[in-house]
Amino acid sequence: MDTILQILASGLTLGAMYAISTAGLALVFGAMNMLNMSHGAILALGGYLSYFAVGGMGLPAPVGVVFAVLVCAAVGVLIYQIVARPMLRSANFETRIFIATIGVGVILESIILETFGPQPKPQPVSMPGSLTLAGVHLPYQNLMILGIAMLLMAALGFALQKTRIGRAIRATAQNRDAAQLMGVPIGYVYALVLAISGGLAAVSGITISSLSSLLPNMGADPMLKAFIICVVAGLGSLPGSVMAALFIGVLEAIVQYVFGVRFSFALLLILVIIVLIGRPQGVFGRVQGVRL
Amino acid sequence: MTARQRDITLCLLFSGLAALLPLVSDVRYTVTQTTFFFIWATVVVQWNLVFGIGGIFSLAQMALFAIGAYTTAMLGYYFGTSMILAMPIGALLAVLFSVALGLACLKLRGPYVALLTLCVAQVLYLTIVNDTDCFTNPPSGCMPLMGGVRGFSRFGDLGFRELLGSGFYVGRYYVGLAILTVAMIVSIIVIRSPMGLAFQALRDNPVYAAARGMDRFKYQLWIFGLSAFFTGLAGSFYAVNTGAVGPVVFSFSHLLFLLSMIIVGGVGTIWGPIVGALLLMFAEEAMRELGDMRDIGMGLILVVCVVLMPRGIVGLFEDLVRWRTARTAQAVPLPRRETV
Repeated sequence: MDTILQILASGLTLGAMYAISTAGLALVFGAMNMLNMSHGAILALGGYLSYFAVGGMGLPAPVGVVFAVLVCAAVGVLIYQIVARPMLRSANFETRIFIATIGVGVILESIILETFGPQPKPQPVSMPGSLTLAGVHLPYQNLMILGIAMLLMAALGFALQKTRIGRAIRATAQNRDAAQLMGVPIGYVYALVLAISGGLAAVSGITISSLSSLLPNMGADPMLKAFIICVVAGLGSLPGSVMAALFIGVLEAIVQYVFGVRFSFALLLILVIIVLIGRPQGVFGRVQGVRL
Repeated sequence: MTARQRDITLCLLFSGLAALLPLVSDVRYTVTQTTFFFIWATVVVQWNLVFGIGGIFSLAQMALFAIGAYTTAMLGYYFGTSMILAMPIGALLAVLFSVALGLACLKLRGPYVALLTLCVAQVLYLTIVNDTDCFTNPPSGCMPLMGGVRGFSRFGDLGFRELLGSGFYVGRYYVGLAILTVAMIVSIIVIRSPMGLAFQALRDNPVYAAARGMDRFKYQLWIFGLSAFFTGLAGSFYAVNTGAVGPVVFSFSHLLFLLSMIIVGGVGTIWGPIVGALLLMFAEEAMRELGDMRDIGMGLILVVCVVLMPRGIVGLFEDLVRWRTARTAQAVPLPRRETV
């Protein structure tokens, strides 16, 4: 019983971390059909910026986190202005932006590697200590990650459903041309969506590195997992992807316990392959009519 | 002369010129680097068939390449199969794998195909790297079934060392050139054939093409199988040429390098991939001194090319030619023949 609860607890922590990075990806894909392959590098950048601000400059942890979030949001806006905007109306936008962001990701990752070196670094933003509840060992760090994830997802959900700009984002996602005709400044919406995605990636990078350590290529695995979750949920579906993130986190914890760590990722990938073949629009995705 | 005949003639002409290189240059480095150029060019020429002509953005090409390489290495290592036999077997296995993959992503479109194929490649990579159980225990140490992290070495050779002595690399040069030439001719035939037209039709107006009886299913499987053969063969030859195969063939920077070749040269054009491969080999040579900065350079090249010239250098050139002919046609109103 204790083992099951323990697996559930660590699975939910994993899922919460995945949810943060997945939400950003899903938001961008939903709003502008853009698969951002540089998401992993932005995630690593966020982790390193907090390391730089807190560990290097000696700033208090919350300031470091805010600094990392702001810079990564700015990177998102830059990607929109420099890379996405010139090709927004072109025929093969989905494929071209995919390739271009691969390039952006490599550039960012190499810059991190040049600046901070290849050795693993510890993440200074973390909370020591733990709590034992009903025989389950719960580090404060995990609880905090869970809390932050829930808070962020709730805030994002509220912003999308209830605010004016949230309505603009949803309208743009539904039909870009109609939204523009109704006076939605879609360029602004796109830049904002990429900024939110960048900020979420930074938070995700900080939380992930606080449980392991900082490496220049640390973003690759979480990004691939975020893609898996997006695909399982149906690309672009935000509530679906949060649910799928939690599900995948728990599943991964179970697989790790039963089969061992080294098979967990491969099994997850096989899961996504099966989902893609059987239900290409994802579990929560709507079947989209083909537009000709 | 039809366009197809012209392109094949050009291709044979270039191959003939390339065949002269080992006779003119006795710098071993130049010859071996050009051999690598043949390998990468073969891969991107065939990738272009799937991505540029077929319009299917598959990222599994390096996995197919790896299947060819690994099959060849494992056959040689475990069974002592001669490399001349092992190479086509590797290529055929890649074809089988690719056709299965083609079936799997038939219903998917755009970036979903990229994700699926990326996942498949990643599964292969992880199974190889994470396998630490010893399959055999040679004196050199524990050897997992698929080589694990360190991969295979010393599994066989094409026999040029006995035949040509210290000039063995020249033998390999011609094998590489032969593979590229055949791959290029096949690519030209496919592009300048009813199949190429069918793909163009399926891309430009899927419903009309389907109404005219064009079977997406059939063409997609054909192109997956065909391109896999040469990609697998290039992988097999890579294994024989370097004499070592490891999980590094799956690496992302490899994929990026090859993808950049297609993008820089021109997606969906006949000569684009070759031009791109040539340019990027030179670019890599120029950036060799830069160390880690090389990746930044590669990334920049990729981003700039995707943003500024979506159809690559060859596409840009074609547009320029079209623009100039359009201008002269306007200035001198002569009856002009339709050329395609």
